[in-house]
Amino acid sequence: MEKRAIMLLIILMAVGWAAAPCLAQEKMHVVDNAIFPDTRCSPALFDHDGHNEKAGIDDCGVCHHVYQNGRKSEVETSEDSACVECHALKAGADNPIGLRRAFHLRCIGCHQIGEVGPLMCAECHPRASLH
Amino acid sequence: MIHTLYKLLSGPMMWLAVILFCAGTLYRLWTIFRLVRRKEKFICSYLSLRYSLRSLVHWLTPFASLNMRLNPVMTVVSFAFHICLLFVPLFLLAHIVLWEQAWGIHWWALPDLVADIMSLVVPAACIYFAIRRIRKPEVRYVTGVGDYLLLGLIALPFVTGFYCRMQWPGYGPVMLVHMFSGQVLLATLPFTRLSHMVLMWFTRSYMGSEFGAVRHARDY
Repeated sequence: MEKRAIMLLIILMAVGWAAAPCLAQEKMHVVDNAIFPDTRCSPALFDHDGHNEKAGIDDCGVCHHVYQNGRKSEVETSEDSACVECHALKAGADNPIGLRRAFHLRCIGCHQIGEVGPLMCAECHPRASLH
Repeated sequence: MIHTLYKLLSGPMMWLAVILFCAGTLYRLWTIFRLVRRKEKFICSYLSLRYSLRSLVHWLTPFASLNMRLNPVMTVVSFAFHICLLFVPLFLLAHIVLWEQAWGIHWWALPDLVADIMSLVVPAACIYFAIRRIRKPEVRYVTGVGDYLLLGLIALPFVTGFYCRMQWPGYGPVMLVHMFSGQVLLATLPFTRLSHMVLMWFTRSYMGSEFGAVRHARDY
């Protein structure tokens, strides 16, 4: 009986140990970077809800904005479309800000104004989550 | 704290470093040309484009000068050092991303592993130069404390840059040291031995012209 209990405990521990990284993964949120053809750093760490709660952002249009004729729309937002739909990978005549620059300006730009949040490469792109 | 220092270093301090570099370079050129006009105006009579270029090409090509052939290790280390020193800051992806973020401009970037190795070549070469300064009597004779400090100052942005690239502990503060040391290097460049970056073109033209047009000999 005791032997069986020990076996069960070992099995439970093994399962728990094996499942731990998967559970942690569930909690980890990153910005999907699959659209970039040649990614050389890890996807940016970003916990959407946690971030907005901390930053006190209620207006989706702060990040999911819509620009019309060079002006940000007061009413329209763009949660239903991917960033790349407006910010193509390469900047061009109808897309003044390329995707990578748009991400960096959106995140770091806001952090610089508010003087809070990450600024430097590794703070969002840690090497550990690269593989 | 980090935000305030980062803002200072990435903004006003960076501009100050660039302005000091440009103004310092112009000042050095102006004082040297003024000196030439006063004391050695005659060099204008034999300054030759052909002999200037002959000298520059020979001194910019590995093993094309006698001195380089006599010191093969120094030649290899020196060329590797200069190439890495110039290429890594300009063609590092992390730097290009910052140009892009600020002005929307970007260009070809070095592959990661190549950039890693190249940024280690610089401090390694600095160690070689320091040992050479200690061990070779003819070099030790013309060496002062400032020369060792200068080697340290050159190595510092590369060592801290590599440290940040590896994301070792203390990443944030080390990044600030990286930025500041690079700015000090840039701002002081025209006033140290490193001014040969700008002046070398003129000293070689001077030597090349005198050796070629007057002495009818080689300066390489």
